[in-house]
Amino acid sequence: MNLAIVLVAAAVVALVIILRLAVKQNLQVKGSSDLAVTIHPIDVVAFRNLTNTAEDDYLRRRLPRADFRQVRRERLRAMVAYIQTAAMNAAVLIRVGEAALAAGDPRIAQAAEQLVNDALLLRRNSTVALARIYIALAWPNSGFAAVRVIDRYEQVSGSAMLLGRLQNPAAAVRLS
Amino acid sequence: MLQAHSPLWNYLWVAPNVFLFALAFLIRRRGLHKQFPVFQIFAIVTAIEQLAVYAADVIPSISGVMFWRIFWVSLLIEAIAKFALIGEIFGFLFVRYSSLANFGKRAIQGLGILLVAVATIAAAYAPVDNPHYSVISHAHILDQSIYLIECGLLVFIFIFAAYFHLTWNRIPYGIALGLGISACVHLGTWAVIANGGLLNQRPLLDFLNMATYHLCVLIWCYYLLVPQKEATKSAVSLPDNNLAIWNRELERLLQQ
Repeated sequence: MNLAIVLVAAAVVALVIILRLAVKQNLQVKGSSDLAVTIHPIDVVAFRNLTNTAEDDYLRRRLPRADFRQVRRERLRAMVAYIQTAAMNAAVLIRVGEAALAAGDPRIAQAAEQLVNDALLLRRNSTVALARIYIALAWPNSGFAAVRVIDRYEQVSGSAMLLGRLQNPAAAVRLS
Repeated sequence: MLQAHSPLWNYLWVAPNVFLFALAFLIRRRGLHKQFPVFQIFAIVTAIEQLAVYAADVIPSISGVMFWRIFWVSLLIEAIAKFALIGEIFGFLFVRYSSLANFGKRAIQGLGILLVAVATIAAAYAPVDNPHYSVISHAHILDQSIYLIECGLLVFIFIFAAYFHLTWNRIPYGIALGLGISACVHLGTWAVIANGGLLNQRPLLDFLNMATYHLCVLIWCYYLLVPQKEATKSAVSLPDNNLAIWNRELERLLQQ
């Protein structure tokens, strides 16, 4: 009977999740016209420094073991904050891209599709990177590289910029 | 009223399957069967199979053991149709997202293996009430196992879509919603039945199952037959302020 209780509890939780997500999905569809775009800027250079393995090696050599672990944990926590922000930006860009897909202009639609796919990859990489960071937080001496997240973030930024330029040519920027 | 073989009981067993069969016919007439071939097969197979089990239940010449054998076979057929339908829903969700399709496929395959393992363990711990009529207990356990796997897969699809902000097409969403609600409620009731709980209130659990199934058929009818309201979609442009912030960040990166 204990098994039945566990399974019934699991079924109730599953039902609540499905209904909640269904309501959220409906609200999203209704609210897609007044999409509130809130993209938080990210200092990519600072993020790149944080994920630089050479810096980690330098700190490992220069600091006592206990100090290094503490510094490493702080750097990892900072990384988490950056990646969470990048993932949230990606989520917003997915919605922006989805909304832009409805545009009649095939160039905008193509740019929007590219943006959505890049943002999805960023979100996937962010999830994997966060999982790895949390593991690294438990074992600060282990190696960790989040380079793929940075690379993907830059790619998403490029896609968003291209879409922005296509939708609003007046706001085009110089990329030299 | 809430007794086996009462008018309500008969209605709840027969009506949803008649509706489902009619729905299969109507989606063929509307040409939707080309888009959702598995759902059409699922609707036909499930309706016929459920009506056959109903007939086996009410025809006096069919023995109890024979009824449970028919029930067993119908369960297996229904399970195959349901998992094929989940595959169709999954395919529809990812059709537009090529960058995520492989990741999603690998994730759902891994989860499927895990759910089969969990369902096997749960089945191993479920009691067999009467060894002389083990076919009944085994049918209940099989039901529990099928709904456990189905429920897990559908919850995963919903969570995955929400996490990645994937946009559902209306019809696959409606099919998934109905199937998901049905799977959760049936998992709960079959878990209780398979583990020997609420022995005196089995008809109530049957009513709960049948009413839920009826509701789900109505959900499918709504999503497949009621046309979607044409939303006036205007392309959303990125706000200038945010674009500037992005551009500033990028310029800073490029100047390094």
